[in-house]
Amino acid sequence: MTTHEPNLLNLAGSHYLITGAGSGIGRATAALFASLGARVTLVDCDEAPLAELIDNLPNGPHARRVYDLADVEGIDDLVRDIVSANGRLHGMVHAAGTQVVMPARDIKPEMWRRILAVNTEAALALARNMARKRVCQGGGSVVFISSVMAMAGSAGSVAYSMSKAALHGMARSLALELAPLSVRVNCIAPGFVRTPMLERLERTWDASQRDAVEALHPLGFGEAQDIAHAAAFLAAATGRWITGTVLVVDGGYLAK
Amino acid sequence: MPQDNDCLLVTGASSGLGREMARRFSASHRLILGGRDEERLRRTRADCHLPDQHRVWRHDLTDVEGIADQLADFLAVHDVRVSGLVHSAAQLNVLPLRSLAPSMVLDTFRANVLSAMELVRTLTKKRVNQQRLRSVVFVSSIASQFGAKGFSAYSASKGALDALMKSLAVELAPGVRVNSVLPGALRTAMTASMFDDPQVADRLAADYPLGIGAPADIVDAVEFLLSEKARWITGQQLVVDGGRTTNITA
Repeated sequence: MTTHEPNLLNLAGSHYLITGAGSGIGRATAALFASLGARVTLVDCDEAPLAELIDNLPNGPHARRVYDLADVEGIDDLVRDIVSANGRLHGMVHAAGTQVVMPARDIKPEMWRRILAVNTEAALALARNMARKRVCQGGGSVVFISSVMAMAGSAGSVAYSMSKAALHGMARSLALELAPLSVRVNCIAPGFVRTPMLERLERTWDASQRDAVEALHPLGFGEAQDIAHAAAFLAAATGRWITGTVLVVDGGYLAK
Repeated sequence: MPQDNDCLLVTGASSGLGREMARRFSASHRLILGGRDEERLRRTRADCHLPDQHRVWRHDLTDVEGIADQLADFLAVHDVRVSGLVHSAAQLNVLPLRSLAPSMVLDTFRANVLSAMELVRTLTKKRVNQQRLRSVVFVSSIASQFGAKGFSAYSASKGALDALMKSLAVELAPGVRVNSVLPGALRTAMTASMFDDPQVADRLAADYPLGIGAPADIVDAVEFLLSEKARWITGQQLVVDGGRTTNITA
């Protein structure tokens, strides 16, 4: 192969809502989408990282909203405000997610409810807006960031696994509902990616545990950028015949 | 690092999806066009960007035992190496079980699966390819996941191909990434007879939420998986089917 690699990912002229944009996968996705020509509206529960990120994004104009997606009831209003201020959407990437590692016997209902609210219910509350003409002109791409935990078990991750597996089911049915509007709905299931969420997990492991987890991935730990590229592939014209699927980006974790 | 004599080998390049891949990838890669029919391969090459950069490797993939020697000789004679492999060649005979003679099933397995294993085995020999192979994409099918009348030999071969892909991905990591693309129904020469029947064509159109696919839809996915943008994707079945397998009412 030659070194020439055509840039087949082009998002010029589009407007994407990206949740969890303050850190990790959401942040890398926002930066990549902007560099591919998209306008992005960044949503995160933390103000400071959004303010810093938005000043460094190319193209634009971009926008930001500080919002806690656990407030599911308010999401319709959030989307309406975003559209009236920044224009209609061509798609969304729901990268916001929360995780609590705790044995099933100890986890409290309010903890798993918060995980489900942010990871799963917010995804539906956001994405269903793509069926509304005032939000989406017709045609677009919704990507939910799920996890290999949706398909493989992990002790201590019951609530997280449940929340991510539910995204897969939701994406399949939503894909069928939105197909007549040419809105595609897919999931990306990452393995362990170097993000602040992984750093928090790593603090609970010793070195040998960390090496054991990395060894589960034939290609090692991934980078947030790897997931961002997959999201761009699904969002751009390259993904035009892909809907209702799960794109696993895991360095081979699930293959063995 | 990619080098000047690195090539992308595309099997099944004489027609259909393989031909579309060759045309697209000729703009970014030096190609080895694999297929049975030299005349049709030359026509594919003539349609490529800078035709003189690309080479034709005539080989019948059902001759699995001949692959290792013939491919090694070809690479040596032309002084080229293979950094990417796209296995797009496939045989499809839609027949009810009662009409499937074992010889036909074996031919389907040779062309669709066993050749893929032998190609990768040959291309990972240091003496033959100097560890230059980086990325492999098998063109599988949604038939590897779901049943259909008359598809038993084809489905079984594609299921085997995907299982092979996963084991190769684990065995060859981290040096080589191996993935499958699973297309739904496309309009190509291989499927032309299915679309000739208006009833079948109407039913297919109704079953696909985003409509029937075009070869370019698959080529984009293969191009992504081959590229460095997919550097952390291996052992994956990427379904590109316009929503067909999601649709339980179909």
